[in-house]
Amino acid sequence: MTTRRKLLAAAAFTVAGTLALTACSGGGDAGGDSGDKTITFMFRGGPDEKAAYEAAIAKYTEDTGTKVKVIVTDADQYATKLQAAVAGNNVPDVFYIEQASLQSYVASGVLLDITDQVENSDVDLSNIWEYGVNSYRFDGEVQGTPDGAIYGLPKDIGPFSFGYNKTMLEAAGIPLPDKDTPLTWDQFVDISKQLTVDKNGDGTLDQWGTGLNVQWNLQSMVWSNGGDWTNEDHTKVTVDTPEFAEALQKFADLTNVDKVTPSASDAATLDTYQRWMAGEIAFFPVGPWDVSVYNDLDFDYDLIPWPTVGDAGPATWIGSLGIGVSATSKHPDDAAKLVTYLSADPEAQQTLVDANIQIPNLIDVAQEWAAEEGAEPANRQEFLDIAQDYGRAMPAAFTYGAEWYDELWTNIQPVLDGKQTAADYLAEVQPKMQTLLDESIANAEQAG
Amino acid sequence: MPRTATVDTPPEAPGTTAASPAPATRSKRDILRLHRTEHRWAALFVAAPVIGYLLFTLYPIGFAVYASLTSWNGLGPMRFVGLENYVDLISDEYFHKALFNTFFYMIGIPIGLALSLLLALALNRRIPGRTAFRTIYYVPVISSLAAIAIVWQFAYNGDFGLVNQVLAWFGIQGPDWLQNTATVKPAIIIMAIWKGLGYSTLLYLAAIQSVPASLLEAAALDGANAFQRFRSIIMPMVRPVTFFLVVTNVIAGSQIFTEINIMTPTGGPEFSSASVVWYIVRKAFKYQQMGYATAMSIVLGILVLVITLVQFRLNRRNSFAID
Repeated sequence: MTTRRKLLAAAAFTVAGTLALTACSGGGDAGGDSGDKTITFMFRGGPDEKAAYEAAIAKYTEDTGTKVKVIVTDADQYATKLQAAVAGNNVPDVFYIEQASLQSYVASGVLLDITDQVENSDVDLSNIWEYGVNSYRFDGEVQGTPDGAIYGLPKDIGPFSFGYNKTMLEAAGIPLPDKDTPLTWDQFVDISKQLTVDKNGDGTLDQWGTGLNVQWNLQSMVWSNGGDWTNEDHTKVTVDTPEFAEALQKFADLTNVDKVTPSASDAATLDTYQRWMAGEIAFFPVGPWDVSVYNDLDFDYDLIPWPTVGDAGPATWIGSLGIGVSATSKHPDDAAKLVTYLSADPEAQQTLVDANIQIPNLIDVAQEWAAEEGAEPANRQEFLDIAQDYGRAMPAAFTYGAEWYDELWTNIQPVLDGKQTAADYLAEVQPKMQTLLDESIANAEQAG
Repeated sequence: MPRTATVDTPPEAPGTTAASPAPATRSKRDILRLHRTEHRWAALFVAAPVIGYLLFTLYPIGFAVYASLTSWNGLGPMRFVGLENYVDLISDEYFHKALFNTFFYMIGIPIGLALSLLLALALNRRIPGRTAFRTIYYVPVISSLAAIAIVWQFAYNGDFGLVNQVLAWFGIQGPDWLQNTATVKPAIIIMAIWKGLGYSTLLYLAAIQSVPASLLEAAALDGANAFQRFRSIIMPMVRPVTFFLVVTNVIAGSQIFTEINIMTPTGGPEFSSASVVWYIVRKAFKYQQMGYATAMSIVLGILVLVITLVQFRLNRRNSFAID
């Protein structure tokens, strides 16, 4: 008898030991009873965001009695970690969601429809940027429409603006560009040429007009020339149009023909970014997340509308990140409530704005912020103009995955080096992008 | 023979040497029971690794094979598509490029081994500061690959990188290493050699030190010069280490990912640095094509298996043994 009992014990021990490794993926909710509720919130971000959210979460816990367990990851690992959590059936109750992943997460039943919870809460949706709210609306067919169900609220919106080195232009005696009228492309190139000089006379250039990165700056040029990546319902790739080609060619010409940027091999962002911060570059893009760093630089800068290539008016993109709720959350209402605190709590917004890393989500707070006396940059209003008037979603923000979009960049280097014309390259890449977009549409249909 | 047998002795031949004076029938039953319990215990101990293998190796492999036959985004339901993913792989030019790049990186393996053998020979001599050198060469091995990749990324920067600064002393204008299709792969190979040098050197050093001094002395007496001694005695004697290093380096090299992902996050200009694993990760986690990515992993796994089998084959033919 004793041996048998020992045997059973040993067997149980072995099995338990083997299962212990898998057991960690099983547990989820910490304590459902006795009103001591805990929900998990996973996000990525730096210390400023962490501080802001800690304040919002403390207030949330005080108001509702629900505790929040916070999981922070670094930006690179976030997507992988979230996917592993989904595969392990242990999705955090509240988590960040990218615009471009929204549809697949909804189709796979990972994201919860929180329309009712948001509409019944005391959040005034009309006081949050429409673009931001609509980004996480999805009606099963189209994302970004005002009629879709709400699958998240914006963590922020990031209007990508354009700036110039005020100190440099003043020193060169060039009249400062107007903050309301965009420069035409010719004007922009002309000023850039005047500012591309060898200041110390050692025979090599040490100051340039600009230095842009094709992946982040081509959008503005194409859109302002009346071109676009796809047709309106995102089914046909339209990069092989003359408008698109003209814009891309003008981008490459900045380096190869106009010679107003550091040499082609230096086009990687890091280098021009460093040079802008060292005061060697006149015109450079400015995102809200850059402001805290740029405000500490040795020169003054300000924002202007993006220069326009054609006559379609200034254009640029607005990035965004959303906060959603897990469809398997045991406390969906508490989780949805946390989302509203994180997205729209005035105090949390103030903390983030004070850190100079984003513009306020709440429109009234934002307007106050833009009108602030002695603000740096002075023309903060430009961010709001982009958010409200001329900013657009990234070309792949509302498609099912961004592979078709990334294909454009993969082999673009010869165009930037002036070894291939933009028109030739675009004619070559369009069919490949179309194939990938077709696949993504097929995948969306299969998933939905 | 009977002396070694304990558990495996058949019950029909009871241990006659047993010191039990008890009646024969009872003793037989006792022994039978003893054997049964011992068999149970043995089965239990064997079960632990077998269950582990089934659960953590065989099941995942089977699952991966199935997943590679489906269209699956890694989150939702899987849809069986047969061999479609594999057929698509045949015409996927990025997969071909990634395969080419991955094998290209392996050029660094023979170079690295030759260098580390030389280094091991040098460190085997009684030179001043030998221990310090051995330590210095081993430091990269124990450093974090991610940290090393970041440091080398700075070093390779076209404008202010250390590499180009050194080249500039000799009047050479270095390229922007990681942004140039021609130099990005050699740049990564150089870094990988540097990182792996210490480990191979350590193994070679141990192998060289276990070469019997008598063989070398005898050869010297017979008039063999240093190169001949190296060629005919040391080289063959360290062959097992070479074989081990080649096999493990090829397997590790086929999985190269971290340094590429950190140094060239977009897969290099025109996909010139992307490895197979980098492409798999991108497809699986960025584009959520888990089925397709799994098919690529299976193809990669089979390729590595075939290469390793070929290596074992070649090694058997050339095997060198001291009897």
